[in-house]
Order: sequence, then C-alpha cells, then structure tokens
Amino acid sequence: MSDIAIGGIGMAVLLAMLAFRIPVAFAMFFVGFVGISLLHNSASAMSLLASESFTLASSQELVVIPLFILMGNVATVTGMSRRLYDAAYAIVGSFRGGLASATVIGCGGFAALSGSSVASALTMGKVSLGEMKRFNYDERLSTGVVAAGGTLGILIPPSTGFVIYAILVEQSIGRLFLAGVLPGLLLAAMFILTVTMLCYWKPEFGPAGPKTSLRQKGRAFLGAAPIVSITLLTIGGIYGGFFSPVEAAAVGAGLVIFVGALMGHLSLKGLWSAARESVVTTASVMLIVMSASLINPFLALSHIPQVAGDFLVNLPVPPLAILMLILLTYVVLGCFLDSLAMLVLTLPIFFPVIVNFGYDPIWFGVLVVLTLEMGLISPPVGMNVFIVKSVAKDVPLGRIFAGVIPFFLAMLLTLAIIVAFPQVSLILPNTMIN
Amino acid sequence: GVAAAVTFSAAAADSLKFASWVPAAHTITEGVVDPLIKALEEGTGGATDIDYFTGGELGAGPLEQYVRVVQGVADMSWGLPGYTSSQFPKTMISELPGVKGDKPGYELLWNAYDAGLLEKEFPGVKPLALWLSEPNVFIMKDHEIRTPEDVKGLKIRVSGTIAGDVIAALGGTPVQIPAGELYNALQTGLIDGLVTGTSAIGDFKLDEVANSYTYNVPLGQISFYTIMNQAAYDGLSAEAKAAIDGIAGRTLSKSAEDAWNRKAEAVLESMKAAGDNTIIVLSDEESAAFEELVLPVTDKAIGQLGAEEVYKTMRGEM
Amino acid sequence: MRSLLWKWADRLIGLSAIVGTIGLLVGVVVVLVDVVGREFHMPLTGAQDISQMAMVTMVFGGMAIADRLSAHIAVDVFEGVFPPVINRVTQIIAPIVGAVVFLILARAMWEAAALSRMLNLATNIIFLPKAWFQYMAVVMSVITALAMILRAVDAILGCPRSEYEADTKR
Ligand code: NA
Ligand code: NA
Repeated sequence: MSDIAIGGIGMAVLLAMLAFRIPVAFAMFFVGFVGISLLHNSASAMSLLASESFTLASSQELVVIPLFILMGNVATVTGMSRRLYDAAYAIVGSFRGGLASATVIGCGGFAALSGSSVASALTMGKVSLGEMKRFNYDERLSTGVVAAGGTLGILIPPSTGFVIYAILVEQSIGRLFLAGVLPGLLLAAMFILTVTMLCYWKPEFGPAGPKTSLRQKGRAFLGAAPIVSITLLTIGGIYGGFFSPVEAAAVGAGLVIFVGALMGHLSLKGLWSAARESVVTTASVMLIVMSASLINPFLALSHIPQVAGDFLVNLPVPPLAILMLILLTYVVLGCFLDSLAMLVLTLPIFFPVIVNFGYDPIWFGVLVVLTLEMGLISPPVGMNVFIVKSVAKDVPLGRIFAGVIPFFLAMLLTLAIIVAFPQVSLILPNTMIN
Repeated sequence: GVAAAVTFSAAAADSLKFASWVPAAHTITEGVVDPLIKALEEGTGGATDIDYFTGGELGAGPLEQYVRVVQGVADMSWGLPGYTSSQFPKTMISELPGVKGDKPGYELLWNAYDAGLLEKEFPGVKPLALWLSEPNVFIMKDHEIRTPEDVKGLKIRVSGTIAGDVIAALGGTPVQIPAGELYNALQTGLIDGLVTGTSAIGDFKLDEVANSYTYNVPLGQISFYTIMNQAAYDGLSAEAKAAIDGIAGRTLSKSAEDAWNRKAEAVLESMKAAGDNTIIVLSDEESAAFEELVLPVTDKAIGQLGAEEVYKTMRGEM
Repeated sequence: MRSLLWKWADRLIGLSAIVGTIGLLVGVVVVLVDVVGREFHMPLTGAQDISQMAMVTMVFGGMAIADRLSAHIAVDVFEGVFPPVINRVTQIIAPIVGAVVFLILARAMWEAAALSRMLNLATNIIFLPKAWFQYMAVVMSVITALAMILRAVDAILGCPRSEYEADTKR
C-alpha cells in the first residue's frame, strides 16, 4: 500500500473513532502511533511518542496554560470574576447580548497579553462562562463567543502563529505583528456585530438586563477594580520589560492569589482546590496538544500535504483562484489538524507560489493566520472548542459547535474583506516600518 | 498497481531520513545536507538518497534530535551540544572563550575526536560533522559595549551555565529566556542584550529590535554536530558507505563551518547596509580588558572537568 | 473485589493529583521569585529548569484524575443519533483504547528514560536529571492506564461507576 493511501486511511479511521466518541486525544494518539509504525517502524513511533509528549509537557511556551487557568480559577473562587461581570452587566447589560460583546472585548484585551489562542480561550472561559450563565445567556452564545473570541490570541500581537510563520518563510516578525493589529480589531468588531445581530434575531440568547443608574454603574465598576488593575498591571509589566509573557501568567496568578487572600476571599483550602482543578484542566488540554503532535509527523511521512500541495499549485487557473484554493485548503485542513503543524507541513509548498504571483508575503501571513483561527473552531478537530468544553463540562460539544457557526461565518466575511482590501492589514506595517 | 507499489517501497527503503528542526532555508541545507546529497548521488548513482524533512516535521525542536537519531526516527540530524550540555561536557570545551585561537574550529573538534577523547559523548551514532560557529558577539538594544564596565548591571540572556559564569564575571546579570521569546524580550527591554553568533541574528530576526553589536570580544563560540544512526550506517551498501566515508569528518565539517561563516558575513553586511546599527569592533587592547576577567572562567571550567588533555589535544598541543 | 481495587486505584489517583498540584504551585512560586529577584540582580539560578520540570509533574500528575473526572474530551455530536447498543460499546472501547495508549506511552517513556541515563541528559542550568521525571511520568501513566482498565471492566459488567469517591467526599 502506498504511503498516501495509508495516510488517507489513517485520517478516515481518526474520523470514525471521533464519531464513536473515543476521546479526541486517545484517537489521535492511536492513529498517529499506528500510522507512524506502518509508514516507518514501531521503534520510531515509540520514540516520537515519548519525545514529543515530554518536550511539550516541559515546553516553556506552554507553561502559560496552567498558570493562566490557575489565574482564572482563583479569580472565580475569590469572586473577582463575578464582580467583573457585575460591572460589565451594570455598564452594558441593558443591551441585548451586552455581556457576550463585553467578553469579545475581554478576549481582545487578553490577546494583547498572550500569544496563544489556547491560553486565551481557557482563561476567558474560566472567567466568563459561569458568569454569562448566571445572567441567563444561552450556552450556545456564551461558549461560541469564548471559543471564537479566544482565537483573537493569534491575530492580535503577540502571536505564536505569526512568529512561526515569520521564521518558516523568513519574514519580519515586527511587520507581521503590526499587520495583525487592524484585522484583529476588525474581527473583534465583526464578532460584536454577530452577537448583536444574533440577539436582535433571538432576544433570549442574551437577554437584556435592567437599566442602571450612573451610581450603580460606578459602584459595580469599583467592585471590579481589583481584577481590572491586576490585568492592567500584568499587561503593563510585559510591555514595560519587567517580565516575559510567560512569566506574566505567573505574575497574574500570583497577584490574584495575593489580592484574594488579602481581601479575605481566599482560604488555603480554596487555593488548593483551585490549583487542583487547574491541574485537571491542564492535563486534559495538554493530552490533546500532545496527541496532535503525533498526527503531524504521521502526515509528513505519508507525503499527503506535499502531493496535494504540488497538485494544487500546478492547476491551470489564474493566481487569484490558486490563492482561494490555498486558503480553502487551510480551512479544510484546519478541520482535522493542529493549526501550527499545518503551517510547517504546507508553507514550504505554498509560500514560493504566492511570492511568485507577486502577492505580499505579510498580507498572505495575515490571511493564513485567519484561516488557522477558523480551523481552531471548526469541527471535528477544533482545539478551541475542546478547550471551552474542558471548562464548560456540562455543555454538549455539539451545542458548542452550533454556537460557533455564526462566528465562523463572521471570520469568513473578515477573510473576504482582507482579501479584497489588503490595505487593512498592510497600512500599519507599511507606514510604521519602511 | 502492485509493481508500482513494490518499486515505490523499494525506493523508499534506500532513502535516508535527514531531520532538521529549522526551515529548509537555514544554513544547514547549504553547509551539510546539499553536500551529503551530492556525495551520495555521485557515489551510488541515486541508489541511496536523502529524504529531507525540515521545520521539525519529524519531531519539533533541537532538544530531542540526538535521541531521535539514536532511536531511529531519523537516520541523520543535526544539533547543538549546548542545548543538552550535560551530555557534552568535553565537546563543549571548544566553546569556551580563548580556546579556539586562529585555527578553524572543526580542526579542534576532530583533533579531540580522532584522539578518542569525545567518543563517549556520541554513543549510538556516527558523527558526520562537528564544527564551530563564527565568534559570539554582544547583541544589544540601546547599550553600547566597549569596556567590561559597560556590561555591569545589564541583563544579558545566556543559554548555559558557562555563558552565565562569563556574564557574571563581567558584572552582568545572566537571564534565562527561551529562544522563541528573544525577539519580544529585546523589544520590551526585559533583557538588555544577548550573547550569540552573528548568524543567529538573522535566524531569530533580532536585527529588527537590537541596534548595537560589539565584535572581537572573547565570548567563545557555539559548537554543532551532524550525526547518523550507527545501525543505519552499518546497513548501507558498500558504495553508500564509501560515499559517506568520503565526506564525513573534516571535509563535511569544513563545508558546514564555511557556510556558517559566509552566513555571518552576509548578516553583518546587511546590518551595516541598514544604517541604523552601531557596529563596534574592539581593538586587541580593548579586548584584553575582557580577557582578563573572562579567561579565568575558562581555566576554572577546564580544571573542574579535569579536561586539560582535551583542551591541549584540541589546540594541537599534545 | 472490584470495590477494593477501586479504593486502591482512587488512592493512587488522588496521590498522583496531589503531586501534580504541588508541581503547579512550585512552578508559580519559582517564576515569581525569579521575576522579583531579577529586578534586584539576583535571578533564581535554574528557575526555568525547575518550572519546566514542575510543568511535566503537573501534566502527567493530572492525567489519571482527569480521566476519573471524565475530563478527557470526546466528540459527542452523534450521541443521540446512534442506537443505545453503540453507545454501550463505546463505553467499553473508549477506556480500552485509552489504557492501550497510556501503556504504550509508559513503555515509550521507560525506554526514553533508559536512553536519558545513557546520554546523561539533564536540564541545562542546574542539571536536574531528565530520567527522574521520565520515570515519574511512567508511574503516573501506568496509574492512569490501570484506572482505565478498571473502568472498562465496569462497563463490560454493565455497572459503570461514574462517581469519584475522593471527589464527592471532598
Ligand atoms: Na496575542
Ligand atoms: Na478544526
């Protein structure tokens, strides 16, 4: 049997296992392991299993995941999340879906703190999902908005997506970061628009709250002051050069613990159970990340991305059609693959073609990162949806995927806007760096 | 159908997997992989070739490359002893300030390897190339380094213990930061600078955020290896073995080291052309002020390892 | 018999979770000490080494309890579509696949640990031996696999135990 056939069968088996509710991580580990054993040998499959999982478990970049979860958990235990959403409710709660829109803004702010979509979705999920439930928001809206909003993490700088793209294709990280700013804001605006339209159409999705007086607003805002100041201090510390984005996660967690204890809202027992819960969430998230890293070498060994890519770029159609097909490929691949793995496998084929056509590589980078974001929320393998599921255990995955659909369409529209008007992404890098 | 499948798998069986954790555009392609492909092509007429996996397709990151070759995930790979320094204490003598002198770096490493002093640090593999980078330099943002005084109190990123000792000896604060965060760390001022070779400036896009570079400082250099799984080598045809043997060792190492030096030159030229960089080249007298503080670190490290023999063999003094 | 096995399994799972939680808290403290110390030019030597290994401890330490609390995520989109018999089969197969995965992982990690000892691998600044943490991952993976095997047995006998005792007693 050819390598490509084995690769194809492997992906089919993966889909079947997922459909039959084998946990995502087990299925990906299993298919990756057996696939590598067939395409290469079982010794190397064993080796990759051990080395990939240990490397990821000890990765300095991924340390942010448990730290931010801890921060979110402690913020919830100490009531800081509640007071944050009380404030948001007092200020925008009288608008339909106001809290969901506020969550989008929160995700945008968090994206300025973290380069990872996983960390964004986890932290915002921990902080906001229980709160939106408290105010009777539909679970499809609340989970959908967090899963989609979390993806802003790789579009708004700093972004691991842009760093990997930059290093793979030798482009400027600074230009890419700048190029992500306006599209990031545009996408956040599109998400808010989506929330508003959804709630206009179905008011029960995000029921409007009572109007509040200025005084009530002020009092609620004061209650949220601790968590708001901690977040601002943490962001300020990164841009002020006091600590790295990774360390910021520990600083944020430390500050929340410190302030919570100081205000008498956090007992040792409360801290311990928040930490223990963080460990559980981290383990389930990291297991998926680790298993996805085994699918990556499996597909590389099958040569599928290479063959498919070569076929695609040699089609006798105009450049714009090829560009569209490439973006479509990313959206489709994103349904199955870990996003960043996808870049490593495909960029070496697609990038030279794009440059040959005379397209701007920075602009293409923004388009690619946008499609990666779509892959994070598209079924069946949508990392951010899994993340939200790990926080909202009682919400069926199918409902989260349903909730994500409108936001997916908003992303598609944003992608179309940036394809049609490259200036949206290029104006900042081209005016600020020459 | 069947016949095609058979030939396909037969062809695949004679492909050696070379795994690289960086993109294909990296210097390793020109310095090591291309010469290997060419040697095999000429020696075997295409019967044995190389399947080149880049960008970490066969497993990410530099840390586990050696392990992956020993376990046969890849037949060949390359890496930096400095990432797993506990495995390579003697090899890394070659990185210390003041050890290299004017000779090509690969000569130092092969002098020691051929004398049987480094073999224990490379179990399970056949080293194909061992080489040294261009000299390390100070890569700084908003700080110009001309004297040891200028380093005092600055936060400098280091990747290993000995580099940390060197920075501490100069009065700086050694800081540990993952390579992927260097760009952000320099930009925000989390670190004032770092010490590494010129070619790495291009690899991590550091020229976008750094603006001052100091050359001719005794800061040592970085060592590299390219290795091949021993069993994979033993299983090769006689022609393929001969082709590998013809290039492995000093020949391939020279090719790698030359490519690194060319890359460093090119990066330096482009930094000069950019115009917004300060490039400081210390005179030998200015450099001596650094040597006074730094060379005792080298002596101490060699003494602690009991590696005087390795040091002298590397320098051709035995 | 089975309830005795579960009692011991739950003890091991709880212990593994405690070690993991300590790992997380150690990680937070170490990074904070390093950040503060750096401002006074006294960074914590090896902070990165410790926080990385603390992370390994936490990730593997949490595996068993995550399974026990059904925190490992599955795609439940077709749950309503399939007949009950299929769902029943899934309840048996899923933990078996999981147990196989974790046993293979344990075996792979065991081999990797032997290799780490041969190559003398350790963290880069304060040289914490890598094999220690790999052996720890082996133990924690085996605990996870054992719990999954018990879960499969329960499902085969048709009396799935969904409650985690240590958790309900908490
Ligand atoms: Na971000
Ligand atoms: Na997806």
